[in-house]
Amino acid sequence: MRRVRPYRLARPSWCVPVIAYLLVFFVIPLIANLLRSRPVDAAIGGGPFFYYVKLLTDPYYAGVLLETTKVALITTFVCLLVGYPVAYFMVRFAGRWNALIVFCVVAPLLTSIIMRTFGWRVLLARRGVLNAWLLDWGLITRPFELADQPIAVYIGLVHVLVPFMVLSINAVLQGIDVQLEDSARVLGAGRLRTFWHVTLPLSVDGIATGCILVFVLTNGSFLTMLLLGGGRITTLSLLIYQQFSTTQDVGFAAAMGNVLMLVALLGFLLQFRLLRRRGVKP
Amino acid sequence: MSVRPHGGGNNTTAGAPVELADVSKSFGGVQVLKPLRLALVPGEMLALLGPSGCGKTTTLRLIAGFEAPDTGSIRVAGRDVTGLPPNKRGLGMVFQNYSLFPHMTVGENVAFGLRMRRTGRAEKARRVREMLATVRLDGYEDRLIHQLSGGQQQRIALARALATSPSVLLLDEPLGALDKNLRERMQFELRDIQRRLGITSILVTHDQEEALTMSDRVAVMAHGEVLQVGRPTEVYDRPLTRFVSEFLGTANIFAAVVTGANGPNRWSVALDAQPHAAGTVESPAALAPGQRVTLAVRPERLSLGPPTDGTVRATVRDVVFRGTYFAYELTASGQPQPVFAYTQLRQPVAADAAVGLSWEPGGAVILQDTA
Amino acid sequence: MKRPSLPVALLFGYMALFLLFIMLPIAVVVVVSFSSSSYIVFPMPGLSWRWYRHIVEYRPFMTSLATSIELALASATLGALLSVPAALALARSRHKLAGLLANLLLAPISVPAIVLGFALLYFLSALSLGLSFTSLLIAHTVAAIPYVVRTVLATYRAVPSDLEESASILGASRGQILLHVTLPLVRPGVFAGAMFAVLTSLDNLPLSYFFGSATTNTLPVVMLSYMENQFDPSIAAISTVQMLIALATLLLLDRVYGIERLTAV
Ligand SMILES: Nc1ncnc2c1ncn2[C@@H]1O[C@H](COP(=O)(O)OP(=O)(O)O)[C@@H](O)[C@H]1O
Ligand SMILES: [Mg+2]
Repeated sequence: MRRVRPYRLARPSWCVPVIAYLLVFFVIPLIANLLRSRPVDAAIGGGPFFYYVKLLTDPYYAGVLLETTKVALITTFVCLLVGYPVAYFMVRFAGRWNALIVFCVVAPLLTSIIMRTFGWRVLLARRGVLNAWLLDWGLITRPFELADQPIAVYIGLVHVLVPFMVLSINAVLQGIDVQLEDSARVLGAGRLRTFWHVTLPLSVDGIATGCILVFVLTNGSFLTMLLLGGGRITTLSLLIYQQFSTTQDVGFAAAMGNVLMLVALLGFLLQFRLLRRRGVKP
Repeated sequence: MSVRPHGGGNNTTAGAPVELADVSKSFGGVQVLKPLRLALVPGEMLALLGPSGCGKTTTLRLIAGFEAPDTGSIRVAGRDVTGLPPNKRGLGMVFQNYSLFPHMTVGENVAFGLRMRRTGRAEKARRVREMLATVRLDGYEDRLIHQLSGGQQQRIALARALATSPSVLLLDEPLGALDKNLRERMQFELRDIQRRLGITSILVTHDQEEALTMSDRVAVMAHGEVLQVGRPTEVYDRPLTRFVSEFLGTANIFAAVVTGANGPNRWSVALDAQPHAAGTVESPAALAPGQRVTLAVRPERLSLGPPTDGTVRATVRDVVFRGTYFAYELTASGQPQPVFAYTQLRQPVAADAAVGLSWEPGGAVILQDTA
Repeated sequence: MKRPSLPVALLFGYMALFLLFIMLPIAVVVVVSFSSSSYIVFPMPGLSWRWYRHIVEYRPFMTSLATSIELALASATLGALLSVPAALALARSRHKLAGLLANLLLAPISVPAIVLGFALLYFLSALSLGLSFTSLLIAHTVAAIPYVVRTVLATYRAVPSDLEESASILGASRGQILLHVTLPLVRPGVFAGAMFAVLTSLDNLPLSYFFGSATTNTLPVVMLSYMENQFDPSIAAISTVQMLIALATLLLLDRVYGIERLTAV
């Protein structure tokens, strides 16, 4: 019989240092950031939400918000399309190759984002690897520019974020009983139909977790846009970075940061509810 | 073979090795232990026997100090330990799943308690060797825990608990995780070690056979209460209540009425189900003719014979060979439950044959509760 | 074995493409780091060590690499010192607040680093800590805490509490139980969490970016500003070095503690 009350070595007071630390250096700074987003100069007018109104109504900034959402949605969707088959393969077919695939999925996390982004520049540039190969094989006659294009940003983002999608889905697929699939197939469903009617619906939790994670992470990325976008894609994070390094409009940058925070917070709450539904403790 | 006095100095102190006085415990408003009194005799092995969930482990954890009692006090070797943490109580304990430290070798596990007491190196090594010899695992010092079989782990857990010469050894279903054959062998081994060291022990078990074979005294528990304490033969042959008689083995329960005295401490009774069937019971307490009583008769105390006058008339339903005896299932008219009788030899009776059941005067017990 | 059906064959082909997609950009950077050319061109004119010599001679790379490593180790250590006691307390707690507190400790993972960095910069400047190694350490420790909390929570929940009870009845005081039983048993979790923290810290440009000054720049910040001016293979060389350091950390950990012990107890 499992005892309800396990032995407790640690006292509740052991939580105090870390909580104090996070209150001072995490919670308070973020709250201060909320206050910072109010215009200091009363002459500007427009009340405490001036910057937020500007963000939503100014055509340029509204465009950035829209672009941010679009990039995050597309990246999430592509990561799902690219990552799901990989997670499925790892659970059902990889067998003894699984360790190798796990390594390949996790290994990029050992390299810096700058390294990976740099690698894509080298691959995609006009005088880069891809153009060199395509010319060699006579598939194209003139090299063309792939870097500094939106497509390069999407490729870079998917490359950086797809491991998170794969690992999230993989975790859930591992828990799905293979026997369910087998019995569906015994009942006469083909492999594809089994997948569509049995496996996919059961892996919805993993898909949701992965999608929320990738969506939030995309919103926080700016290096990929900066190094691969050539100024063609401007998102909120990138704008914060630029605001800080150029115009130094602190209040406005703070307001944009708070909007990003809000998105992240929503994602976090959503994920928490999902985990709760699955009965997982944080 | 050396007889080692059990350590901890409880010989010099007055009082029982362990004494519970009105100890009770509730979890979340549910009373798991009713006020409990229990005292151990030095050197004995006491079995706490009862069905799962009756509060045996809770009793043991209260003695060990993992839980605090709601009321009452706990004394170990004459000292009140009610407020002391487990590490100050000088006890030894073996857990059901052994709880060996997976990050230590066998030697380090056995030496753990000595290390906590800052025992010197040489003395520690000597003691570990001695303990491993006691559990017949000489030379296992450097093995890793996961290299051991279940039975070996069990013995290492015992060696670890004994290494510090505790005043009392607490065993919580120590053999519960072993398979049947090994469990029976370990019962004898554990009993042998306990006797040799003369260490006062409490054995928690839900297995009545284990309790009867291993212990000097059995305390039968149910619903957070100790119902009866006594020597194994005593609780088996002289159960006080229907629960005890049925938990310790099979019992045939008959409602009856006293018809008259039948010798010193002996009375004649007539069964309610078959008033013509007469029997004799022994009772130290005086009974009055006409008094209603409940009898318990063990199946091996019933003998099968021809359906003569004065016997309990019954019909054979089934007979099963149980290896060392034959078990007969019978129905007695007027008795709703089936009656069981065990015999050493196969009786010359066919299925559906009518037989007569009887018992010797000492074979029936009067229970304190009503049927 | 029977011949795989068409969808399965397609899936195998797809996996090969996927692994190529993941590995190619990384492999390309390693190859480029050995280029003998000053530009990034293909095919490469020849192989050389010149870019490795260049990064060793280029002081900002080396000092910022040292800063990065120091920062990663210091923040992971401080994060572990703060997190381990709390995780031990929370793992076994049934208090109503325990879940909420665990969520607070895990929350920094979910906050975009650029927002946290920005907010901390102004907060720390108000405390006149501004651009300093201390500020960097404070910020990176906030980011390290969730990683250690998560792995220690998981590891400690898998440790049966009977082990600590056994130790206690064998005479161990609370301090001795912590030292001889609990900490050794959760050590794999502590190290795994600290290693995640080290790896993320090494690559956490958004958090470091705001505290940049001549003396406190971390490697990613220096690399970024270098790339804004030049586009030569030295970035490839320093990236490869950083990757090798991360790989060495992982292998060292494997040698000392065993990778499999990081996941099992
Ligand atoms: N820590 C606890 N919290 C709540 N209930 C408990 C706790 N420990 C034991 N119980 C309950 O007390 C009763 C007795 O448990 P236990 O002493 O373990 O029984 P046994 O060992 O005889 O099987 C059970 O109903 C059990 O559910
Ligand atoms: Mg129990």
